[in-house]
Amino acid sequence: MSDLVRTRYVEVNPGLAEGADPVTTEIIRQGLNAAADQMKQSLIRTAFSPIIYEALDFAVAFYDADMCMLAQAPTLPAFMGTLGFCVREAVDGVGGPGALGPGDVILYNDPYGTGSHPQDAAMIVPIFHDDVLVGYSAIKAHWLDIGGKDPYCTDTIDVHQEGTIFPGVKLYDAGRLVSDIYRMILANSRMPEMVIGDINAMVAGARTGAEALAALVRRHGLGTFRRSVARMYAHGEALVRGWFERLPDGVYRASSLIDSDGVNDGPIPFGVKVAVSGSSVTVDLTDCPDQVGGPVNCPLPSTVAAVRIAIAFLAGAGEQPNEGHFRPLELVTRPGSLFHPVRPAPCFMYGIPSDHAIELIIRALAEAVPDSVPAASGGDINALVWWGNREATGEPWADGAPHPVGQGASPSGDGASALMYISESATRFTPAEVWESRNPWRIERLALAEDSGGPGRHRGGLGLDLSFRVLEDQYLTAGLARTALEPWGLAGGLPGRPNRLTVEYPDGRAEDFSLKTRIFLPKGSVVHLRTGSGGGYGPPAERDPLAVLADLREGYITRDHAGRHYPHAF
Amino acid sequence: MTTVIGVDVGGTFTDLVLHDAATGEIRVAKQATTPRAPESGVLAAVDAAVPAESLARCAHFVHGTTVGLNALLESTGPRESGPRNRVPGVEKPGVEKRGAVVGLVTTAGFRDVLEIRRGDRDDPYDLFWTPPPPLVPRRLRVEVDERVAADGGVVRELDPAGVRQAARLFEAEGVDAVAVVLINSYVDPGHELRVAELLRNAGFTGPISLSHEISGEYREYERTSTTVVDAIVRHRMGPYLHNLDRELRARGFTGRLLVTRSGGGALTLDEAVARPFETILSGPVAGAAATARLSATLGIGTAIAADVGGTSFDTALVEDGRLPLLFQGEVVGLPLQSPWVDVRSVGAGGGSIAYVDPGGLLRVGPRSAGAVPGPACYLRGGAEPTVTDAALHLGLIPAGRISGGISLSAGAAARALAPLAGPLALSGTTGPTESTGTEGVDAVAEGVIRIASAHMAQAVRGVTVERGVDPRGAAIVAFGGAGPMFGCLLADELDVDTVIVPPNAGNFSAVGLVQADIVRSAARTLVRALDGEALPVIERLADTLFKRLTAVERSTAVEPLTADDAVREVDLDLRHRGQEHTLTIPLRPGEDDVESVTARFSDAYHRTFGHRLPDPLEVVTVRATTRVVLDADRPPVPAPAAGDTARSLTRLWSFRRRAWAEAPVVRRSAVDGPLEGPALVLEPTATTYLDAGFTAEAHPGGCLMIRRKDRR
Repeated sequence: MSDLVRTRYVEVNPGLAEGADPVTTEIIRQGLNAAADQMKQSLIRTAFSPIIYEALDFAVAFYDADMCMLAQAPTLPAFMGTLGFCVREAVDGVGGPGALGPGDVILYNDPYGTGSHPQDAAMIVPIFHDDVLVGYSAIKAHWLDIGGKDPYCTDTIDVHQEGTIFPGVKLYDAGRLVSDIYRMILANSRMPEMVIGDINAMVAGARTGAEALAALVRRHGLGTFRRSVARMYAHGEALVRGWFERLPDGVYRASSLIDSDGVNDGPIPFGVKVAVSGSSVTVDLTDCPDQVGGPVNCPLPSTVAAVRIAIAFLAGAGEQPNEGHFRPLELVTRPGSLFHPVRPAPCFMYGIPSDHAIELIIRALAEAVPDSVPAASGGDINALVWWGNREATGEPWADGAPHPVGQGASPSGDGASALMYISESATRFTPAEVWESRNPWRIERLALAEDSGGPGRHRGGLGLDLSFRVLEDQYLTAGLARTALEPWGLAGGLPGRPNRLTVEYPDGRAEDFSLKTRIFLPKGSVVHLRTGSGGGYGPPAERDPLAVLADLREGYITRDHAGRHYPHAF
Repeated sequence: MTTVIGVDVGGTFTDLVLHDAATGEIRVAKQATTPRAPESGVLAAVDAAVPAESLARCAHFVHGTTVGLNALLESTGPRESGPRNRVPGVEKPGVEKRGAVVGLVTTAGFRDVLEIRRGDRDDPYDLFWTPPPPLVPRRLRVEVDERVAADGGVVRELDPAGVRQAARLFEAEGVDAVAVVLINSYVDPGHELRVAELLRNAGFTGPISLSHEISGEYREYERTSTTVVDAIVRHRMGPYLHNLDRELRARGFTGRLLVTRSGGGALTLDEAVARPFETILSGPVAGAAATARLSATLGIGTAIAADVGGTSFDTALVEDGRLPLLFQGEVVGLPLQSPWVDVRSVGAGGGSIAYVDPGGLLRVGPRSAGAVPGPACYLRGGAEPTVTDAALHLGLIPAGRISGGISLSAGAAARALAPLAGPLALSGTTGPTESTGTEGVDAVAEGVIRIASAHMAQAVRGVTVERGVDPRGAAIVAFGGAGPMFGCLLADELDVDTVIVPPNAGNFSAVGLVQADIVRSAARTLVRALDGEALPVIERLADTLFKRLTAVERSTAVEPLTADDAVREVDLDLRHRGQEHTLTIPLRPGEDDVESVTARFSDAYHRTFGHRLPDPLEVVTVRATTRVVLDADRPPVPAPAAGDTARSLTRLWSFRRRAWAEAPVVRRSAVDGPLEGPALVLEPTATTYLDAGFTAEAHPGGCLMIRRKDRR
């Protein structure tokens, strides 16, 4: 067994925060958040692929010269704080900070540095003030395709099957496009036109951000800026420490099962251990198997992100996070394992273990903070990726989206129905009318699933039933997790329903899939996606009879279900 | 010139402005709003402030109302009052009122669209975030068997039996109004029309809102939300407006009743009754509209409206005198597919409360002391320090009486600010035993104002940078009770050289009301390539839309406007093929070809995003607008003359010098030659703070023009 790795914050500039004025610090803190938002808006408005502009599958952030996170615009929580690794690796890749100059743009998509698959590519722009490197703007966004054995893979056996890797290369050198790199990108994509559009949008966004940050430094002067940033980190740290201080010290645990690794059958058990001591917290993710043969390994940056998301949801006080918020956290992992794989372990579906870990860390803390922890949700983003060639023109098309699930019930009330899983909580799914105007589909059903919410004193939120009739031959890759494990209830509440995908073929045959690449769908097939619901909270016998009758009246539950779980209401 | 009366009903006050053509008089009055019977507040304001002969002369009575919004709030029920859900100037009505009961007819398989929404959370970091209950409960959302494809082809014929069954259910449930939203009805509305007919045949007599008439654009959740909101507010709006019209006529009014739109301009009475959802949030628009009119008159290319009130800062970017339009808005978390003036609101106003957060930083807003109890210096029971308290302490506004019989107490302001000095100093530089003496309070007050201005400046950067405009080249138009106080501070924050304080700065928004044009618009989604065959199709579609608009015009009871009066405008939402987001570009029917439209789009794209793309263009939506300019040559309203030319001296804080200064206090009417800052300029409704390095001069049109002499 290899040595464990502890990922934690090491103070860079001790004492710098002293002498910072709390008013200027607040002004700079807000200025950074606003600049990150400008970068986000610029990307959304110019991106080509719906996965960026509609699903918001990207992250934008600023880092200081020491690669600490200054600000991140609210997008996918799943990407919270992951860009730090990739900024460091990307800059190292091109020769370190000394090799950077104004007008440079670095491209980086190595999964072991981004934490995700090669399709998640980062653009990093160094920011200068009077020839001094003061920080970086960074955008990581999902490209529709950058090679790999399939546009979206659930069955890879090493990282090299997953896409072309750019390990930190200059796409722009002193403002000039490096055409060799550019042509490499295009030659390796199945959808080069979409990718070109998104590259332009990312470069424009990162440059917009760089200008906004440079303007902020100019306005306040570099010395004041640095002191205020140090003070801002101390502020973020104090907020999170204040929350953990209220928790009883102790070690909190939870364990669960991942369906399968996509290549080999059989569930993958893992456990989390959260140790709270004073205002510090250590999350241990070493209780897991060695890295597995299929692509559900979670590279370290995404494991770190999972811990940060869980903590931000619980302790973040609703603030946009910066490096300071993460200082009280320590993460323990084991190199060569599911949550700290080493090259060339496949990791295309890294989101499955990462998303699962988020909910499990939160569950582990149920004992410490019962009021702050809900039952399980559907627990997954239920990613579906579709592609084909249009019948009439032969033109290639592709689309892909996450889908909402029911949320767990909590001590304060019923779970919400049909919301994106929390790691993608800012994501929206596409309207059926937009889908139909773009893809050869007809949506036959888009409905809340009656009876699906886990029974309890408070009911779990309902899952979604979606049916797509395909009007032309096409392919589908299914990336569903939590299809076997029922969403757990808490405090006596019953479980909800797991996720399920069924393909009904024109010949009447039907088949279920969870992780499956390149399912051929002949024209006339119907794809039924039934997303998971939330678990219940508290014993069903304690549910307010009026709430049961209201659910029955509105058709959220049927008479049969009500009679079975809530006989006391009649 | 015509006589115009504008009445804007806000949450707390009803504002009235009268522009009497015969006497040239401008009169402004305020009256407490009467939420339970809004028309009596309006009529009371008219009775109190408008002489009978002025009312008889009045050609246009322009009304801004929150009746539609209140009807909606009654249906949405109580909500958490986070900043996102806050609607400026609207109080939550009493719970005893009942909103309209609305039934919804949908395509089979889609009854839950309204409840499923788009799957996102308003607050992405809130684990427990729950959407508000749907506007129509699930049992009143009825599916009918029918289906139209995205290309308009009928996949399944409409089943009339299902509609008749829906009608029976609606009757049994006491449904007041019905919304009909069928999938892809924006392409072919046949089935929606047939549903309406079947409902009528089955005996349903209440209002019916058809989605293709309400919106005409794709995206079923957004269209459903818009249609249901229409059904809810229609129930209340028609009776209210007809009643108001009747009461005004009983008092001798013979002119035209107009209702302001969320998208700028105003609707005639009949059209406001027919399309009430378009009036839902017109309150913040008037200030932007007044800025647009002023900047057109003064020939200012780029103007930034900066409206600082008691609870919020509202800002908008005005280019070449045009209002910044969006074609989707949002109110209480509900999307509305309707023209929408892009006014951004942030919780930074005179009443915004300052505090030290648990991490030791000074924060300002979004919580506000509002009008009650108000800032601590009002001596009405408020104890928490606000922006107004900080401003008073620093001498940016004079102590003493202000309007409404309130007396400002500098002592109370300092007492409220003092407790913040300790915690801030503790976590700052000056050590743990810093006294709460004057320097400490000065520093807190200065910090509060600096943070509030930084908030406002960020909102301005948002509205400008997103449209590709560099704010440095713009002029700031500062108005609202506290706007002129922040003008110079914003100029320094944004590196802007010109600040304009309009006449009647405190009531400038109300002035915008009496300048409204009559505007109508309609839109239809038409996704197709922009090629040679596209333009004739677009022009035919635009003609259809105009026919619909003029049909409403003809039904107007009072002296119908002829088609000749109306300026017709066609706009296209265009995008590069493959993109989703669009830019709206004007089309000149009959003159334009594909090349000229493409060039116009490419220029706009370059200006907004900084680059050009070679990819082919796609049309998404065609928009038709008619505009009747009611009184083209209305001059800007002059400032009221006042005889008092006395000057006095005051002690105020100069932000540029970071020190106290002796400064003159000058009546606005007495500013003749250039006035050098630091100085205060007083007028009845607002105070202008002129920092060192700024010079103010009176402009012949009545504005106070402030120039930044030296950049900081």
